[in-house]
Amino acid sequence: MSETVTRKELMGETVNKYTTRKEFFKQYKKKSRLEETWNRFLRNKMAVIGLFIFVFIMVVAVVAPLIADYDTEAITINVSNRLQPPSTEHIFGTDEMGRDIMARIVHGARISLVVGFSSVAIALFIGGAFGAIAGYYGGKTDDIIMRCMDVFLCLPDVLLALAIVAAFGTTLVNMTIAIGLSFTPKFSRVVRSAVMTVRGIEYVEAARAIGSTNTHIITNHVLINCFGPIVVQVTLYVASAILTISALSFIGLGIQAPIPEWGNMLASGRAYMRDHAYIVMAPGLAIFVTILSLNLLGDGLRDALDPRLK
Amino acid sequence: MEVKKMNEEGNTLEIKNLVIHYISEEEVVKAVNGVDIIIKAGKTLGLVGETGAGKTTTALSILNLVPEPQGKILSGEVLLQGRSVLSMSDLELEDIRGDKVAMIFQDPMTSLNPVHTVGDQIAESIEIHRKVSKQEALKQAKEMLELVGIPGERSNEYPYQFSGGMKQRVVIAIALTCSPDLLIADEPTTALDVTIQAQVLKLINELRRKYHMSMLMITHDLGIVAEVCDEVSIAYAGRIVEHGTLEDIFDNLRHPYTKGLFDALPDIEARRSELKPIKGLMPDPTNLPSGCAFHPRCDYVMEVCSQSLPENKWLSETHCVQCHLYKDTNESML
Amino acid sequence: MSNILLAVKDLKKYYKVPKGMLHAVDGVSFNLEKGKTLGIVGESGCGKTTIGRAILRLVEPTSGSVIFDGVDIPKLNKQEMLHMRRNMQLIFQDPFSSLNPRKTITQTIEEPIILANMIPDSDKRFMRVMELMDTVGLAERLVNTYPHELDGGRRQRIGIARALAMNPKFIICDEPVSALDVSIQAQILNLMKKIQREMGLTYIFITHNLSVVNHFCDDIAVMYLGRLIEKAPSEMLFANPLHPYTQALLSAIPVARIHNRPERLLLRGEITSPINPEPICRFVNRCNYAMPICSKEEPGLIEIEPNHFVSCHLVGQG
Repeated sequence: MSETVTRKELMGETVNKYTTRKEFFKQYKKKSRLEETWNRFLRNKMAVIGLFIFVFIMVVAVVAPLIADYDTEAITINVSNRLQPPSTEHIFGTDEMGRDIMARIVHGARISLVVGFSSVAIALFIGGAFGAIAGYYGGKTDDIIMRCMDVFLCLPDVLLALAIVAAFGTTLVNMTIAIGLSFTPKFSRVVRSAVMTVRGIEYVEAARAIGSTNTHIITNHVLINCFGPIVVQVTLYVASAILTISALSFIGLGIQAPIPEWGNMLASGRAYMRDHAYIVMAPGLAIFVTILSLNLLGDGLRDALDPRLK
Repeated sequence: MEVKKMNEEGNTLEIKNLVIHYISEEEVVKAVNGVDIIIKAGKTLGLVGETGAGKTTTALSILNLVPEPQGKILSGEVLLQGRSVLSMSDLELEDIRGDKVAMIFQDPMTSLNPVHTVGDQIAESIEIHRKVSKQEALKQAKEMLELVGIPGERSNEYPYQFSGGMKQRVVIAIALTCSPDLLIADEPTTALDVTIQAQVLKLINELRRKYHMSMLMITHDLGIVAEVCDEVSIAYAGRIVEHGTLEDIFDNLRHPYTKGLFDALPDIEARRSELKPIKGLMPDPTNLPSGCAFHPRCDYVMEVCSQSLPENKWLSETHCVQCHLYKDTNESML
Repeated sequence: MSNILLAVKDLKKYYKVPKGMLHAVDGVSFNLEKGKTLGIVGESGCGKTTIGRAILRLVEPTSGSVIFDGVDIPKLNKQEMLHMRRNMQLIFQDPFSSLNPRKTITQTIEEPIILANMIPDSDKRFMRVMELMDTVGLAERLVNTYPHELDGGRRQRIGIARALAMNPKFIICDEPVSALDVSIQAQILNLMKKIQREMGLTYIFITHNLSVVNHFCDDIAVMYLGRLIEKAPSEMLFANPLHPYTQALLSAIPVARIHNRPERLLLRGEITSPINPEPICRFVNRCNYAMPICSKEEPGLIEIEPNHFVSCHLVGQG
């Protein structure tokens, strides 16, 4: 088959066959890069397991009210029913207030996931924007932005979250913002280095040569090629965020009782751990499995997105 | 300086019917598909080919360094002075690597370890193979540097302090420390400027004559072949399509691909209005054409070419070709 | 002569480095006529890549003028420059990294047209893309493919199509075939020559490969450490190279012949540093003909014979 097409043939064909781009594209479909990446991902068994588990957790969180009614099962104190071991009625047993542990776990999942994703979203947009600007423009801009970020990096996450919470109160929103802000500098670094890598690649220079403005280059060429490392960091930071909120709740400065949260469940159950191990096992396992699945997912994504260009 | 033991007469290297494929879940890369190579003692063979010819894979197999999980040696023999490399144990391989056979790669930037001095890196090879003290090894390392044209005092410097050409000289020094019987050079000058390339090629020529070393020179540049080699093998899609002495290939070529290679070269003496390229594309090693892999690009293609692989035909004692054109004749059909 | 499309005068590009000033391009001047091809050759560190970027203002020149079609390029403001870019384009060396891996061929070729707002109608624009693909020899079925699905030769064709998209008058080709296989190089070079004839383009062809330059270029400029040391029409340069560096450069080209092999002139030593260079002949430490004056004074560019310029004390003496 000839690799070159003569102009006559081409014009003739196009005039007769297709006159619009749409028709042409229908004929020659795009081989989706997403598909290739997805196939690569599927080949990694551990990653697929991670994905399954995490999707399961998300589904559970979404349908939580269907599994167990919030008020009656997760909140209402029923002292006569306290510290029941796992049974067919209460799959994980009941806690020291007589509440169904499974119901609390399932509703707790909602909190963990909401806080996890929202805080990372905040960090991604704020940190990402600053990181992209710093990475792309370099020079003094880079220095100024990064030194500001360094100031925040110096503060341990928990401490920063503590400070905000102490000042503004322990609401869910405050917690989310606090954790989000503490992750912002980390994200700015990740995005900055991804942008710096891409900025040096020739197609960016090519874009400049054809007359693109800087903004156009950043949005059109640089950022879309940074997805890989950013997506991976997102999954890992969501895990981190969930861990942080649990830690904060554990020390009493996060979500307050009676709202079910895995961390505060661990805290309140601590006293009964010796004779009623199940009371801490369930939330502990919940945290462990969630973090594990996110890590497996993150690793799998990193491997699948690795540009193994042919 | 170590006294060079004479390279034994006979064939330093013999590769017979080597087949190596890279097998992954997505595809099979047919890198080498039945390669025969013979390098006689003290001679230099130029292995010429472009992308997908299988040159580097063949070279790696000589030291049994083909990347493991995916690279599979499906058949063939690699004999180094009569001993089979593919059936050697790891210990035996470690013994011969660096000592009997040395390899230099294309990119001097990545061949040298940036955190060790140049002297240390040369001495490392000496220490391993000659069992001498570190002092003695460093002393010999200095001598090696002088041999390749770098002042001995510089042995305490780090790779980043040298230019590309000098780094390549250091790489050559490391390769030659133990006077190997066979030197494999994989495009050693491609990354270098043309004037530096000339210096390095001159050095390689001098050293190989001095040490009566056999050499496998892998390159895509026929000019380098004319300068440094005694015999030439032309590789395409993992097979050797033509082989012969310099005269055989430069004056009496037979294979259409060889002709295409020479025709595509710009001639600095005759200014033509148009270059004469080989039409079509490089072969895709995951999807090779049927029959003779060159047939889609060949100006002399016949029906049989897409149906069956041509046999290896000896046109003279030194010259052989794999092409259906020569089934019944030895005369040039081009 | 109003036939001159590009007049570069005393172009300089210096970089500030910890040790001092790096003279990447150090006062280069030449004229380029419309429809011709100028080859800029030299080895690593000679400044040929930088000068290409400086002419297009992809890096800002430190000083000097670049008069393109009567307009002094370094003096334009941002808006004017964006507009001017349509006339002067660049073809890159590496066909792998010069294309955005996340854009299809169509999107890559279309982008300059969209940016310049040359064809607002989507379908008409697409037809133009098809036309460009045809010009460079890319089959129509490749419209929705990504760069990684294609080989080096085809990718370079995309790069050429992208450069042609805005109908430029002038294209700088930065080692356009160095990364390609030998059998494919000839295809691409023939294509570029054909396009030049059909569209009346002017080229600057930057390369370190001298054998290719003879076929492709009308004039050749040889650079060394940021300075232009010899310039002449191709035949003249190959027949009668005057500067010792040019002579060594030409003789270093490996010749694919076994009979009548030319004598090799080998250079001593290595290239000196472009940082804080002294105002003497920069080639002096490697030159086999060095004279006392070479270590004292920098030679100027003299026209030895019509159209043949050399910067060398030995040649200047006559």
